[in-house]
Amino acid sequence: MKAILLAGMIGIWATGAMAHSPLDATTPANEAIVTEMPTEVLMNFKGDIRLTRVAITHADTHSMDMDLGEQTAFTQEFALPMHDMGAGTYVIEWRGLGVDGHALNGSFSFTVE
Amino acid sequence: MPDAFGLAAIVTKFALYLGVMTAAGTVMATLMFRLDRTRGLAAAFAVLGLAATILAFSLRGANLTGDLSGMTDPEMLGLLWTTPVGTALLLRLVGLGLLIAGLFMGRVGAWVSALGGVVAIWSFDHVGHVSSRDTTLLDIALTLHLLTVALWIGVLTPLKRLASLPDTFNMAANVGHRFGVVATATVPVLIIVGGYMGYQLVGSFTALIGTGYGQALIIKVLLIVALLGLAAANKLRFIPALRAGDSAAASHLSKSISVEWLIILAVLGTTAVLTTHLTLPA
Repeated sequence: MKAILLAGMIGIWATGAMAHSPLDATTPANEAIVTEMPTEVLMNFKGDIRLTRVAITHADTHSMDMDLGEQTAFTQEFALPMHDMGAGTYVIEWRGLGVDGHALNGSFSFTVE
Repeated sequence: MPDAFGLAAIVTKFALYLGVMTAAGTVMATLMFRLDRTRGLAAAFAVLGLAATILAFSLRGANLTGDLSGMTDPEMLGLLWTTPVGTALLLRLVGLGLLIAGLFMGRVGAWVSALGGVVAIWSFDHVGHVSSRDTTLLDIALTLHLLTVALWIGVLTPLKRLASLPDTFNMAANVGHRFGVVATATVPVLIIVGGYMGYQLVGSFTALIGTGYGQALIIKVLLIVALLGLAAANKLRFIPALRAGDSAAASHLSKSISVEWLIILAVLGTTAVLTTHLTLPA
């Protein structure tokens, strides 16, 4: 019985993957390669969400939290100003709260040539 | 695998289910079967439920910032308070508070405690996968499901206690028999509403076997089947034997209840994974 339970639990966790990631589209798109550093990143969600934390990591070295001071409403579209940290891959990790109270999180990346 | 916060959320949810369901079930069973000496049991599990309620709310704050600071961040917790998660927190605090207060209020207190238990259970209608579906029938199904499960859990420990002393064998047989009668109504309800909710939330056989959510639900159902087997043995063999004066049946009943408890812990654990970590099939 224990073995069956354990196998089941491991199976569930393995297939559980990323819970609740309702990000519809981003600009630049996930894993896009762009020639110029965008001045802002656009995030479109499937439902209303309030962003609570957005962290940007550049080329696996510099990591910084974005200032979300002006993002104080539940909405579907966000435009976040970007700082040019040079060429390389930018990874954007975000966390937020859905209107139903669900915590949401996810990440996407793009590369500047 | 969930991260550290995800794992903490699952463990806290398990403690929340155990605390709320056992406390509410104990006061319901006390009222229904006129049980004695259940105050300490109900109070202990209600306090566990309260602690888990507060910790679970706080952990949601941590989920919003991605670090420990969110657990006490007034902005994050204030934000959560405005959502249905805040409503559920309020209902749990009020419900469990009433439940504990009622334990010290004499005869009328039993009703106050039971009302508090129902309010705390009703809080589960406000958050999670069922609340997001926005159908009244599903809300009613969940509440009925939880009330019947709570009563089942609540009767176990008092019954085991009665079956462990020769002086109270008669009472154990009596309470066991009366619960068996009640169960002939509540167990079919449990199965019907459980099946209905499973169908509504999972939707198809493919999703049942092909998704983590569906597989966890299968584990839960298998555990319930084992539980029903034990309950049937209690109702059809041990309780009638105990009523007929067979004292050996008391020890069988007591052991059977211990195993029932273990299975219930596994069911609550599986449910915590289902409701915390897994998403519904699309």
